[in-house]
Amino acid sequence: MGDTNLNINAGTQTSLSSAPATRTRGRRGRRVGRWLARLALTLCFLAGFYYSVVPSGRAAARALIVLPGVLTATQPTWQAPVVESITHTQTTLPSASGTVFLDVYAPSGTVPPVPGSREGMLIITGVGDNRKEPQVVNFSQTLARAGIVVMDVTTPALLADRVDAGDRDAVVQAFQVLQHWPAVGATRVGMFGISAGGALICLAAADPRIRDQVAFVSLLGSYYDTTTLLETLGRRAQVVDGKSQPWQPVAVPLQALSSTIAPALPGNDGSVLVNAFASYPAGALTPDQLAQLAPESAAIYHLLAGDQPTRVAANLAALSPTLRKLLANLSPSTVVNELRAPVYLLHDRNDQFVPVTESRAFATALTRLHHPYDFAEFGIFQHADVRAGLGLSQLLGDGQSLFRLISEVTQAGS
Amino acid sequence: MSTVYLMFIWAILGLLVGVLACAAHLQPTTWSRYRWLWLLVLGLGAALLGGLLGFWLFGRIFASATALWIAVLATCAPGLYSALRTRLGQRGSDPA
Repeated sequence: MGDTNLNINAGTQTSLSSAPATRTRGRRGRRVGRWLARLALTLCFLAGFYYSVVPSGRAAARALIVLPGVLTATQPTWQAPVVESITHTQTTLPSASGTVFLDVYAPSGTVPPVPGSREGMLIITGVGDNRKEPQVVNFSQTLARAGIVVMDVTTPALLADRVDAGDRDAVVQAFQVLQHWPAVGATRVGMFGISAGGALICLAAADPRIRDQVAFVSLLGSYYDTTTLLETLGRRAQVVDGKSQPWQPVAVPLQALSSTIAPALPGNDGSVLVNAFASYPAGALTPDQLAQLAPESAAIYHLLAGDQPTRVAANLAALSPTLRKLLANLSPSTVVNELRAPVYLLHDRNDQFVPVTESRAFATALTRLHHPYDFAEFGIFQHADVRAGLGLSQLLGDGQSLFRLISEVTQAGS
Repeated sequence: MSTVYLMFIWAILGLLVGVLACAAHLQPTTWSRYRWLWLLVLGLGAALLGGLLGFWLFGRIFASATALWIAVLATCAPGLYSALRTRLGQRGSDPA
């Protein structure tokens, strides 16, 4: 009996003491919730302020808008209400090297009072007619929707699959046109070169007429030195961290280089070389055809064909002074000392058009010169195009580096 | 049409900020009934005004971010002001 009483008393005591405990727990829970809400509000305030008022935050916001468009190669539909509507204008520009074709993608709205003018970006997409390439159009439109005035530039030489150092003037002229384009701030114009277009961008960015006005130079999958590029092509191997690795190029760089070098070759050798690489490897020259070429033409052929990997040095030594001068004139390495703008390098680490070692050499030269630059290697690109079927981990890893570089590039207009 | 969508986004942001402000107990004690409703209305109105201001001042891309921080500022301001007044009042009446 006594035990029962004890139990009843104990039970009553337990139920009486649990009510305040529950109340205390509830009060503590509410207090935690209150502070979490306050923390969330503080974060909202800081994020909103940073992404709209602080220049680096505004650049990051632009990068956040550009990144999905670049990675998916389309404009995400959810962005439509947030981004600017755009216009597309096609125009031409007379220059010493022929008519320059300009495709301008620009935001159609009025310029906001802060920062007062828009960023301009001059883009050269490399050899060939890329003006209607879906990825090029999408890239230009994505940047324009983020508030940047984009000018895609191409020249008759580029349309004929050639890189011509004489186009430097044309690019300088186009840059000056962009500087005076409505709404563009003259000091907010940068240059972006893709593949072989990067060489022309560097040549123009080093030009004394504009080099102090170029806001940035950005290069994707570009080469640094034509001679080292020929060396890598000739060996069909690239040297990474002191070790030689096999490297097989696709046909495009062979065709572009043969077209570029052809005018400097004697007699009919140029057209023989162009025809050989137009359908390479089916169009490979026979020993009889090779015997009819001048020694320097044969040397160039072997370098491009990669059929004499052990004689690369000898073949390079066989090039005429005219050819050497041509190669030097087409190399960003020749003008690297004259660049003033910060340089942003991007390269596919498995690039089969231009080896990644070219951008590494560029980065090494910029480090030596104490020139401001940033460099990132990617696995998400196939030369200049975004690869299909990318995994989430790859997208997140490379997306981070791409975000950083886009933020740096869009800083000029923020 | 996309501007209407954009304003809809600002409205959603403003309401969310209002809900957070309610949860954070940021309404002044002097407010009587329907304090939560006032905070929602304040968040909504401030976000719409902030969005319009951001649209004009910084451009379309930055309008939503502007709407967000202005909505937070507007919903927090009355509570913070009230708390500050109370604290200053206490300090003023403190005999020490």
